[in-house]
Amino acid sequence: MVLVRAVAGRVLASLGTLLIVGLALFVLTRSGPSSPARIVLGVDATVEQIRDFERVNGLDRSLLAQYGDWLAQVARGEFGRSFVTGRDVAAEIVNALPVTLSIVLTAFAIAVVFGGALGTAAALRPGGVVDRLSRFGTVIGLSIPAFWLSILMIRVFAVDLRWLPPGGYAPLSAGLVTHLQFVAMPALSLAVYYVAVLARMTQASLQETLRSDHVRTARAMGLPRRKVVVYALVNALPPVVNLAALSFGYMFGWALIIEQVFNVPGLSRALLNAISQRDFLLLQGIVFLFTAVFILANLSADLVNRLLDPRQRTAA
Amino acid sequence: MTKLRQALAIVDWSGWLGAAIVVAMVGAAVLAPWIAPFDPVAVNIEDRLTAPDAVHWLGTDQAGRDVFSRILFGARASLAVGIGAVLIGGLIGVSAGIFAAYKGGLAELAVMRVVDAVASIPLLVWAIAIVGVLGVGPVQVGPLSLPNEVKIVVLVGCLFSPVFARVTHAVARRVVSADFVKARWLQGAGHWAIVTGDVLPNCLSPIIVQATLLVAIGIVVEASVSFVGLGVQPPAASWGTMLSDARNAIYSGEWWLPVFPGLAISITVVGFNLLGDAVRDLFDPRSEARTLVA
Amino acid sequence: MTAPLIDIQDLRVGFRAGGRRMVEAVRGISLAVRPGEAVGIVGESGSGKSLGMLAVMRLLAGGARITGGRILFDGEDLAAAPERRMAALRGRDIAMVFQDPQSSLNPALSIGRQIVDVVVAHQAVSRGRAAEIAVDALERVGIRDASARLGAYPHEFSGGMRQRVLIAMAIACRPRLLIADEPTTALDVTVQAQIVDLIAELRRDLGLAVLFISHNLQLVAEIVDRVVVLYGGKLVEDADVFAIEDSPRHPYTRLLKACVPSLTAPPGPLFAIDGAPPRLGAMPPGCPFAPRCPRALPRCAAEMPPLTVEDGRRLACWNPQ
Repeated sequence: MVLVRAVAGRVLASLGTLLIVGLALFVLTRSGPSSPARIVLGVDATVEQIRDFERVNGLDRSLLAQYGDWLAQVARGEFGRSFVTGRDVAAEIVNALPVTLSIVLTAFAIAVVFGGALGTAAALRPGGVVDRLSRFGTVIGLSIPAFWLSILMIRVFAVDLRWLPPGGYAPLSAGLVTHLQFVAMPALSLAVYYVAVLARMTQASLQETLRSDHVRTARAMGLPRRKVVVYALVNALPPVVNLAALSFGYMFGWALIIEQVFNVPGLSRALLNAISQRDFLLLQGIVFLFTAVFILANLSADLVNRLLDPRQRTAA
Repeated sequence: MTKLRQALAIVDWSGWLGAAIVVAMVGAAVLAPWIAPFDPVAVNIEDRLTAPDAVHWLGTDQAGRDVFSRILFGARASLAVGIGAVLIGGLIGVSAGIFAAYKGGLAELAVMRVVDAVASIPLLVWAIAIVGVLGVGPVQVGPLSLPNEVKIVVLVGCLFSPVFARVTHAVARRVVSADFVKARWLQGAGHWAIVTGDVLPNCLSPIIVQATLLVAIGIVVEASVSFVGLGVQPPAASWGTMLSDARNAIYSGEWWLPVFPGLAISITVVGFNLLGDAVRDLFDPRSEARTLVA
Repeated sequence: MTAPLIDIQDLRVGFRAGGRRMVEAVRGISLAVRPGEAVGIVGESGSGKSLGMLAVMRLLAGGARITGGRILFDGEDLAAAPERRMAALRGRDIAMVFQDPQSSLNPALSIGRQIVDVVVAHQAVSRGRAAEIAVDALERVGIRDASARLGAYPHEFSGGMRQRVLIAMAIACRPRLLIADEPTTALDVTVQAQIVDLIAELRRDLGLAVLFISHNLQLVAEIVDRVVVLYGGKLVEDADVFAIEDSPRHPYTRLLKACVPSLTAPPGPLFAIDGAPPRLGAMPPGCPFAPRCPRALPRCAAEMPPLTVEDGRRLACWNPQ
């Protein structure tokens, strides 16, 4: 019961945060130098035309009321119709989202698998070859900007070796191999930083639990080494899960830059188009979505950790 | 003095390398106008796209501008944004953290809720979106016309602040409730004396660690935002815009155009990361688990 | 005289302290325990008692390692045994319980899972059968309704109960030697006595040999046959428990005895030994206790007294009582 209440509390708090942050976003997108009406109708529009436009689109109401309307729409899965292009914002996002999602999910899988493995291997032999390599490698990984890595990879793998296409995108429906050919470089360059981050965290956390009293007990009772490692890993996991969730949320941001380099028709293109066309409804929709994903990722990390921790799971 | 020397003895070569890189980069940024061999924005069509040689050490770009000089000047933008954002974030975050810990009760709850909310904003997406909405033109503050970077500095600074607020809050809460601070109260020490004399010195080491690592993140954010054209505006030099300009060179083969600015970013960021790790090992070796991510 | 179950010969443990210098914390300790015998190891912190026993288990950490000597268990030298062999022996033939029951159990796994894992690591039984063995062990250490509590997590037990669970885990595979490293120090005084009684009872019922490490001579004296006193990484006195109680001969043992307030004697000022134990790496060339010893002679500081054997008592002192 306590757990249910705690979970409900966290979910509500996350929702509240999303609403407040969403409002901040709403206000910010409307604080640009020119109003949507002026952008749509052009500099020649008369004051009456502008007033009419604002009344028809509800732009004359208070910001809070507009935000309420917009939220009600979002709750129904609609993001409104763009003033600029007349296109449905939700449809536009649904078109671009799978592209970004495919890159981010692939990168996330790479980061978790390789980061976790590298960190574990390094923690198991402090001072060993893997430890020293990972110490060196992760600092490099943390420091190379993903978009520069993309540029270098295009030169090497697309231009010189001709193994992979230099950019563009093919959906999964075009076949898994083709899809992966297009996703490989963006996902890899996005993943490198997070492999480093997760490897460092896994190593630090596991090393600490390996020093703990209960691991010493496990060894004193003669558990085989594999089992001892499992015992330690179970306890080393929570901070890694937290960081992984945080990473997942942040990845969407860097994916925007990388999509630019590879000229991928994902949310990055949609967002930058929205900016250049001053299409604030679309921009707002995309940023709100990213923020929601970010908050959701953090929330799920919290919930997973609660499930992992018997103190919280069994508290009666 | 010997204590300091003993402490510094545990800093290994990587820490010193980091410090050396940071000092060199800050030096390059400050001294750029004097040490740059060429004007970073001077167009010289005759000399365009020359490979690195004795005159143009790192070659020239499409407009014949000297890459080395542009990298030196680019260091200014990078470090200004990285360090500026950390200073702003530090100022906001540290004050918020101390305020919350010091006041306690409802004020503490409210401040830390705001901190949580700010922490749940994805940095890069918002940076891009907000600069996109506000436009890349200069900001007019009274008689001053501030370049676009100022927006980024303030924004990134605000989004960095939760890191500082949480660290400071955690330490400050412990300090505020500690017996020695209670004793200082009883001795009649004022608020200001306790904050500057007891709370701040105790938070300082984790703050410095986070600050160093955040500068690294700030530098990459600046380069990324500039790369998509929403940061430093041409013709001013920035590592991000230089890489953006160099994108065609991927195919045409002027390797020096994409390689050197990227190296400049990576080396600088390596410097701050190594320095941050060393500072952390120095102050607080057990805090390894608190890894930053952006 | 039966052959000793474990025969520690001239054990030395050292670790690297800043650079290349090796510092020895256990400086040549010899000690034998017969099957079923209970021996107390007494000394202040830093005397080398815990480090020495961790060395026996080959669980040294933090740069510490065995630098000399042999640890013969059933004739097999543990100091030279490969890690695989040690893993097989630990928990099956030698088990160890530690000081802090709060942190010594894995907080993320149920106690049943933890005990069952130990059983299946050493015995070719199904997990179902192992669970029965676990229940049996838990009941033996006085945990009521054990089968219902297998699924419980460590945080659901009190400190004393957790120590019982750890002891159950240690005896589940019927080891021949139990090393208890200050198992009661972290517990309430009333619970301390229960745990000591439990260990005494298990020893009697299971024929366990016990090495009981403590800084509290009085506590140890209740259950052991023999007491070994360590100081500064050296064995200073080793005798039958009654001999230690009635006629301690090393000045340190005497003082150690005086440190424990008696419940029967009229209350007086609490007694403490002046000074602090010597620092590692700054050991005096002679008897490590000489700087604090009320009976110290000039030669004590210069020359380590040899270990003499007399009437079954081992003693290292130039000027014994």
